[in-house]
Amino acid sequence: MEKLKMMLVDDEERFLSTTQKLLERKDFDVQTASSGAEALEKLRTKPVHVVILDVKMPGMDGVSTLREIKRNFPMVEVIMLTGHATVESAIEGLKSGAVDYLMKPANLEDIVAKAMDAFNRRVDIEEKIRVARMRGLMKSPREMLKNA
Amino acid sequence: MEKSPYTGVRRFVLINMILVPFIPFLLALGIGNHSFSRSIENSTIASMKRIAGDHRQMIESFLLERQNDLELIINTSSFTELVRPERLSSIFLQLQRITSAFVDLGIFDDTGVHVAYHGPYDLSGKLYRDTPWFQQTLKNGIYISDVFLGYRNIPHFIIAVAKKENERTWIIRATVDSQRFDNMVRQIRIGKTGEAYLLNRSGVLQTDRRSGGNLMESPREKIPLPRNGREIHTFIHREGREEPFLYATTWLKDQNWVLVIRQEKTDAFMALREARMSILFISLVGGGCIVAAAFTLTGAIVRKMEKTDAEKALLSQQLIGASRLAELGEMAAGFAHEINNPLQIISTELSLIRVLQSEMIESGQLTPGEPHEQVTDSIDQIKLQIDRCSRITASILKFGRQGESRSENLDLTVVIPEIIQMVQKKAEVHGVRMECRLPDTPVRVTADASRLQQVLLNLLNNALDAIIEQRGSTGGIIGLDLSTGENGTATIDVSDNGTGITPENMEKIFAPFFTTKPVGKGTGLGLSVCFGIVQQMGGKMEVTSTVGKGTTFSIVLPA
Repeated sequence: MEKLKMMLVDDEERFLSTTQKLLERKDFDVQTASSGAEALEKLRTKPVHVVILDVKMPGMDGVSTLREIKRNFPMVEVIMLTGHATVESAIEGLKSGAVDYLMKPANLEDIVAKAMDAFNRRVDIEEKIRVARMRGLMKSPREMLKNA
Repeated sequence: MEKSPYTGVRRFVLINMILVPFIPFLLALGIGNHSFSRSIENSTIASMKRIAGDHRQMIESFLLERQNDLELIINTSSFTELVRPERLSSIFLQLQRITSAFVDLGIFDDTGVHVAYHGPYDLSGKLYRDTPWFQQTLKNGIYISDVFLGYRNIPHFIIAVAKKENERTWIIRATVDSQRFDNMVRQIRIGKTGEAYLLNRSGVLQTDRRSGGNLMESPREKIPLPRNGREIHTFIHREGREEPFLYATTWLKDQNWVLVIRQEKTDAFMALREARMSILFISLVGGGCIVAAAFTLTGAIVRKMEKTDAEKALLSQQLIGASRLAELGEMAAGFAHEINNPLQIISTELSLIRVLQSEMIESGQLTPGEPHEQVTDSIDQIKLQIDRCSRITASILKFGRQGESRSENLDLTVVIPEIIQMVQKKAEVHGVRMECRLPDTPVRVTADASRLQQVLLNLLNNALDAIIEQRGSTGGIIGLDLSTGENGTATIDVSDNGTGITPENMEKIFAPFFTTKPVGKGTGLGLSVCFGIVQQMGGKMEVTSTVGKGTTFSIVLPA
């Protein structure tokens, strides 16, 4: 199975570095970004499977970052990370295409579990796409014959 | 009430409530007293005058009749006839038949010789030429004397009439019984002290007086004699320290005697005194009533003011409380959110410590044992405390922030059954029947679905609590009626047959922190929050209740 690549987006540097360390020990490929803009920038060069995105950030906030990610990288799964007060923005995030949300303070286990779920979902989808493509390929010679 | 800020108000109201009715009251009594006194005085004096007039008339006619008697004799009989003693006797007897006033009868010739006499004394032959009465009679043709003792030494007065006959003047004279005349004059009686008597020109009594003073004495008091004429004079006279008297005086026809009618002033004005007593009584009772009413009303007004002010104070306190609560909610929400970020970091750091710890044990850098177990225990404790903090912030956020409302177009006939579904189970457990009556057509309102749900759930839960308290687990009914009103408004009635709300609690049920539930059971926020939500929706929330029968909450929502 492909190694899960994820990106953490939060304005708390220490949270990013510690969580990165922990996740890397669990053998995940982890990048970090301390703002929405940085996250989008990094996604361009190093694509990931799952983004853990803090809702409340200075500058571009979580929901707008989510929309940008979904627009530019539709195959990236996003998990919203929220304080209680912003449950509503988490819901808005879900409506805008986030796959799940996490309440702060979140356990590492929860983060991993949800990231894995999202990753599996992604893998499922990719699998379906692959199957569909294969079917398309298998069909194509006949169609080519027909058309010819 | 002592030292209260209402002392000033109380005094002001009290003074005004006493003074304002008192002024017209006293004015009315004063004017009434004045005109009543005047009227009584006038009528007393008028009746005094009338009595004096009537009495004068009576005395005058008595004297005139006696004079006429004599004139009749003198005109029907001649001098020569009358000097015959037997003739004179028979005439006197005739006269006695008409009136017993005459004591004797005498005839005088022009030289003053008493030529004939009939009576108890032998006076014939005496000479009267130089006596004043004889001179007066010759001069005026008629004479009525003052009362005098004369030869007989008993009080009497005389009436003499002169006649010219054949160039000779002769005189007939009769003595009038003073005692009889006296009785006639004195017979009058007015009140307790009223009396009548006669005075001559020199102020000497011509009759006895009931209140003291005998015939021919001068009374102690010196009253002014009236001016000549027929007028009746009234005045009040007081002699020394004696009782003042009300007098009526007038001259008799020949201007020799004064008729005096007098009555003690207090006796004469008895009616006035009685009237004044009743006026005094009325003013005391009326004044007492005014003062009592003023005190009672002022007390009531001040109590009412105190009550209103206390309610106002309570209300503003509640308002301040509510706004403080809102501020507190905002602050708490922000605070909780900010706390969550460091908690998140602590939580991840802790996870890292755990990982590092187990790695160190695996690599043999750390040996398991007592100190290691203590570290693990500490770490577990930190984890526990983080979770605790997180629970606290969660509950603060839940309470503090309600978020913004999202209005949407709702069909109440769809929303309400969903809400009822949520309490159905609880209601069934307590044997409460839910009766939901909805119209067949959709009822659309613009409202926040989750908030409407919050309001209705709150009301339904309250209704359940009230029913359980009143009836336990049997016979409870909760009704939920939806109806439409004017301008597309929708009315939701939530009714129960529970305990009901007492009138004194009725005023406070929407106030924040008011609850009838035991400490720790209710926050007292439910209905106040509901009220706030309904108001924010532009609706109204009302309540009617009967203790022991049940309560109905009505929510009216705009279209």
